[in-house]
Amino acid sequence: MTRAGELIVVACAAVIPLAAHHAFGGEFDPYRPVLLKGKVVRVEWVNPHTWIHVEVVKPDGSKEEWMVEGGSPNSLLRRGVTRDSLPVGTEVVVDGYQARDHTLLRANGRNVTLTDGRKLFLGSSGPGEGPPPDAAPLDKAKTP
Amino acid sequence: MTGKAITLLAAAMLPVAAQSYRAPRADGGHPDLNGIWQSLSEANYDIEAHNAKAAMAVRPGPYGPVPAGAVLALGAVGSVPPGMGVVEGGDLPYRPEALAQRKKNQENWLTSDPEIKCYLPGVPRATYMPYPLRIFQNGTQIFIAYEYAGAVRNIYLKDPGPAPVDSWMGQSVGRWEGETLVVDVTGLTDQTWFDRAGNFHSDAMKVTERYTRTSPDVISYEATIDDPKTFTRTWKMSMPLYRRQEKNAQLMDFKCAEFVEELLYGAWRKNPLSR
Amino acid sequence: MSHGWTRIHTDILALAIAAPMWAQAPLSQTKPYAPPRMADGHPDLQGTYDLATLTPLERASGAKAVLTKEEAARLEAMAALVRARGDQAISGERQAPPKGGDGSTGPAGGVGGYNTGWLDPGSAYTIVDGQKRSSLIVDPPDGRVPPYTPEARKRLAALAARPTSDAQESNDPGLETAPGAYDDPERRPLGERCLLGFGSTSGPPALPDYFYNNLHQIVQTHDSVMILTEMVHDARVVRMNAAHLPGKIRMWMGDSVGHWEGDSLVVDTTNFTDKTRFRGSTENLHVIERFTRVGPNALLYRFTVEDPATWDRPWTGEFTWPATNSHIYEYACHEANYALGDILRGARLREKEAQQK
Repeated sequence: MTRAGELIVVACAAVIPLAAHHAFGGEFDPYRPVLLKGKVVRVEWVNPHTWIHVEVVKPDGSKEEWMVEGGSPNSLLRRGVTRDSLPVGTEVVVDGYQARDHTLLRANGRNVTLTDGRKLFLGSSGPGEGPPPDAAPLDKAKTP
Repeated sequence: MTGKAITLLAAAMLPVAAQSYRAPRADGGHPDLNGIWQSLSEANYDIEAHNAKAAMAVRPGPYGPVPAGAVLALGAVGSVPPGMGVVEGGDLPYRPEALAQRKKNQENWLTSDPEIKCYLPGVPRATYMPYPLRIFQNGTQIFIAYEYAGAVRNIYLKDPGPAPVDSWMGQSVGRWEGETLVVDVTGLTDQTWFDRAGNFHSDAMKVTERYTRTSPDVISYEATIDDPKTFTRTWKMSMPLYRRQEKNAQLMDFKCAEFVEELLYGAWRKNPLSR
Repeated sequence: MSHGWTRIHTDILALAIAAPMWAQAPLSQTKPYAPPRMADGHPDLQGTYDLATLTPLERASGAKAVLTKEEAARLEAMAALVRARGDQAISGERQAPPKGGDGSTGPAGGVGGYNTGWLDPGSAYTIVDGQKRSSLIVDPPDGRVPPYTPEARKRLAALAARPTSDAQESNDPGLETAPGAYDDPERRPLGERCLLGFGSTSGPPALPDYFYNNLHQIVQTHDSVMILTEMVHDARVVRMNAAHLPGKIRMWMGDSVGHWEGDSLVVDTTNFTDKTRFRGSTENLHVIERFTRVGPNALLYRFTVEDPATWDRPWTGEFTWPATNSHIYEYACHEANYALGDILRGARLREKEAQQK
């Protein structure tokens, strides 16, 4: 994408209104960035946030289990995601920031991707992530 | 065989339903389950038959168990009333290792019973919590709202397929068998209990509920539990649900999540209260 | 970076939205439509609806009420662009994000939140009477919430220790600066405590959430209308042709009573708790909603909000509720609310470490 295109995208993001939501900045510490590479050992498909447990092997060979915070699973479920969509053992790369309670190995999933950089969950239906058969979108613009 | 004997024999073989109450029809032509209902059982304390007890959390006393320190101040308010039980056939058919788990649940009741944290009660416990529930029914939809913790269940009348993930209140699919609404509940997490006595289940549990109007103000409720990981066979519970007849009966706010904030988060206040 | 971004932001918006013109938007005239009816003869309002929309509650100051087809198309394309951008792959060999925050603003709090693939914020502006609306609010005519009364201003200043905004602290991005913002769970927003949905998902008034989970379900019986809000599994029961509860009984979503005016369901809600505080209002908040089926797949939802102790006049908004075939899933919230505990513990740790410095 051209630089101008990128700037347009950044500006566009400001056009989309965001209600005062859960404030990530209170939960995670901007001064503790993390990069995690490891495999998924457990997924908690829960609200208000999905938690993806990632086992990271440290340079000294010891293992750490991190919890990575995602969004609400409900929108994903409507797009056909199920408990089988993120199998245990999937290698992932996570960048984000550690919880302000840094005694915990928890971080926000600022970007959660496969090792090749593909995002785990796409907004539009990606391959293999089709919506449930009866989720045909009705014409939202229709008024008589 | 004489004619009289044949008549008597035939009468004895008649299914109960043929002689029973016929409820008014709701929109859609099925028995009308609309209304506010509530169980009068003591099942939420313990679904098995049980005697009254000093408390749900006890410790050894010089002459038998006494209330644990954490609940002592509640006095009789914290005691457990007796109940004849709602489990058909008597005791629950636990597998041996599951029975051991139940004992652990009982010993750790205060920290383990999800009701203490105001977690959603699951099915079937939501039905017999001692608070009202409301059934909304017409020709195309059935929905149940529970006063406790604002729990809700939509009853699908068309099977949407397997639940994509587990949930506290499960995925309910309903169908009519004559006068009975049969609801199959799947996709339940393993985190709910049946009662305050540590009775529990696994995430393999499937529940089949049956709702039948048996009189103007009573629904006969049955729940069959199918959980081979926990029990050696399926088993069934049953109880009447009584219509709340007060003119001003309704579901009120019981959002207890607010009430447990001191319990769950009080230690992390800037100025914690003494514990 | 932020400086240049702000400049470009203004330029792009100027291109996308025609020169601001104050215009009066007439209150909607519902076109006659013969709805299917329940057995009792009243319109069938039932269904599952997705309230997601790009239309904000309030209009930008001086903006028009109605977007032209071209303006709307451009803005909707921009939203789709952001969406597509968010789906793009990045480097698998990337580094950790910058120390000190990644510059993200608003709720992202300098830590970037999470990937846009989790979101379902709506892709179009709401259409009412064939018009693409730039705000939900249609009255006052400027499409903005009326000013607070002086009494409300005083009250809210005193409540400043119980913030719902996320103002950023300059030396620690993402932290709320209002005093005591993290002292107790009661200081946190209701959505963060899992007591009600963020924003005003159930309300009333039921408003769109600009992140996700905008599904609502309506079930009608002879004596009630039940409105289920997905987030946070709130079932609001509208008692038809009933009197309000005694003043002593207060509910988080208030007490709703309904009646039919022609083919519109009119719902009157009072008896709010003093903790609901929709946009800073008191327990005397009064909301009137109108639900009208305007097509086989859409309801028109109109709401009027008043609280003389908060706003100097009532205000009204409206938007379309499009039907969806998607399912509502359980939003259990409190049961796995790791975040609230983490936020409080994090604040205590930060205080402890500040003391030790």
